[in-house]
Amino acid sequence: MPAIADRTDVYLERFNDALARFADEPTWLLERRKRAMERFLQLGVPSLKHEEYKYTDLSALADGQLLFATQLAGAEAALPSYAAGSSSDRATGAGPQVLGRIPRGARVQSLAEALRSQPDLVQRHLATIADCEDHALSAVNTAFFSDAVVITAERGAVLDEPIQLVFGDGPTGRLPRVLIVAGRNSAVQVVETYAGSGTYWRDAVTEIYAGQNARVDHYRAQVESLDAYHTGRLQASQERDSYVGSFSISFGAAVARNDIGTRLNGSGCECSLDGLYAVRGDQSVDHHTSIDHAMPHCNSHQLYKGVLDDRAKGVFNGKIFVRPDAQKTDAVQSNKNLLLSDESEVNTKPQLEIDANDVRCTHGATIGQLDSEAAFYLQSRGIGAGRARNLLTYAFAADALERIKFAPLREHFEALLLNRFASQES
Amino acid sequence: MLQVRNLHVSIDGQKILRGIDLDVQPGTVHAVMGPNGSGKSTLASVLAGRDGYEIEEGSVTFNGQDLLDMDPEIRAREGVFLAFQYPVEVPGVTTMYFMREAINAVRKHRGQAELSAGEFLKLAREKINPLGMEADMLKRAINEGFSGGEKKRSEIFQMAMLEPKLAVLDETDSGLDIDALKIVADGVNSLRGADRSFVVITHYQRLLNYIVPDYVHVLSDGRIELSGDKNLALQLESRGYGWINDEVVPQAAAGV
Repeated sequence: MPAIADRTDVYLERFNDALARFADEPTWLLERRKRAMERFLQLGVPSLKHEEYKYTDLSALADGQLLFATQLAGAEAALPSYAAGSSSDRATGAGPQVLGRIPRGARVQSLAEALRSQPDLVQRHLATIADCEDHALSAVNTAFFSDAVVITAERGAVLDEPIQLVFGDGPTGRLPRVLIVAGRNSAVQVVETYAGSGTYWRDAVTEIYAGQNARVDHYRAQVESLDAYHTGRLQASQERDSYVGSFSISFGAAVARNDIGTRLNGSGCECSLDGLYAVRGDQSVDHHTSIDHAMPHCNSHQLYKGVLDDRAKGVFNGKIFVRPDAQKTDAVQSNKNLLLSDESEVNTKPQLEIDANDVRCTHGATIGQLDSEAAFYLQSRGIGAGRARNLLTYAFAADALERIKFAPLREHFEALLLNRFASQES
Repeated sequence: MLQVRNLHVSIDGQKILRGIDLDVQPGTVHAVMGPNGSGKSTLASVLAGRDGYEIEEGSVTFNGQDLLDMDPEIRAREGVFLAFQYPVEVPGVTTMYFMREAINAVRKHRGQAELSAGEFLKLAREKINPLGMEADMLKRAINEGFSGGEKKRSEIFQMAMLEPKLAVLDETDSGLDIDALKIVADGVNSLRGADRSFVVITHYQRLLNYIVPDYVHVLSDGRIELSGDKNLALQLESRGYGWINDEVVPQAAAGV
């Protein structure tokens, strides 16, 4: 369709301009960018006709205007309390704010630094974990990202507090790129926060490599402007006996789409892909998860909970692949939704492809309303109607929230849920 | 304290209460007895403000105010307490959090200072121990996984914390063994006082051996057909409810 081709022209023009900026980059990276661009031009921004995007309208992104022609407002976006602490301006180029003490054995670098000090590692993992072949939005990021944050934990390093990356209104915040490499026996925690003001599109990609017996706890908190588009990708690749935990919080943005996946490439791996979304007004939020069980004796858990109010829409699609070799797989998936209004809606779908015969895969999805008898019970003890609603909403989300081990992050979102209907307090 | 006048209530067009009159003076205990389906629980629900009931006629006045005009939480703050027949499980909210919110909402309404975490805990410990429960219960989600007896004792604990002026106990004795029944009754008796009243709704006379009422009312087919003192309950125990319909109602109808 020529109309579509015309629209991606802007991307191509911009890419040709950008190549000059990338001139100092190693050839392998340039090749990966070019391949990503090529692939994007073939795919285009997915339309509603695309099976994987049929509930999430990204047509506003097709011509690239929201990416290239809008400015981030520049006014400092209100950051969540846990992320607003004193920032130590670390050398990550023009990248995000980095909070938290960087312990011995760990590094947080800009792409340029990482290319100097550990070029092989970057070449091995950057833009190889999050492939672009079927991901037009990841392709855009790979083609255009101007800087990356590279977090590495060397063999055996244990980070007992998280490294926080805060992507606010900064100049390079549109196309955040993060690479996390956890060496053998290491343990890493990373919190990514996305917050902005105004109308824009942010397209973020994070890649995680979990080495043998490594543990990575990853949190992504999306509290974008309510006029923004947020598309995010988290893709992990796990070696034997490793653990990757992902928690996706999605409260912001007019339209949010997150693709979160992991490949279990060795036996004895474990992963948890969890999330909590809470949307209202005309917001829409879409999570697509993917767990690829390639090897035997791996466990995966998923718990996604959603709270939807007004005319908000939610989508959950959970893919689980169990390959022929992946005997003794244990995969559990659950998506539960609370609709607070008559006009809100959820489309939830498990998608299991099982090619091994000795496995346990369970999935369940629920969509429900607040329990009026429980609300009456709380009110009958003197608690106001609005407060009762807040408490029950919080209670609904409590088991998901419990999976956030970083207390300041958990407490922030607990408080948001508890104070959601503050105006009705009486 | 409480005046119910000619109260007619229906659910989904079906008449349940057909003209209830009840006067509860401060410091008195009224037992409301009656067979299943006589409207006992409807009366309790209407007093507490549960949704879904159509008030067709009549009035309920509580300390001079129109009770039916108040939201359930306002009734609670004004001093009405309902011990639920089927207490609700609320996973995800601890009893501690719940009761602290509740007690502070009530205190605020009464112009009292809110309780600090420490003050609350001290009070909660005082109130919970006599009920044979451990303070650990406070850390559990509301009623979640509680046995039937634990749920009922939790109701009495909540009542003790909130210190209502009027407590309505809706079949609090149902399903309790004799030991649990005694604990619940002791809990109620310890709260009896000159300015606190109780409406004890029960199917069985047994509870009234332990909570001795000042008045007993027999509800049948949506009306209070008979009122008396505690001896009426004993009579009901030995004769059942059948004779009310067979003897009392025809007499009343005949104007005897």
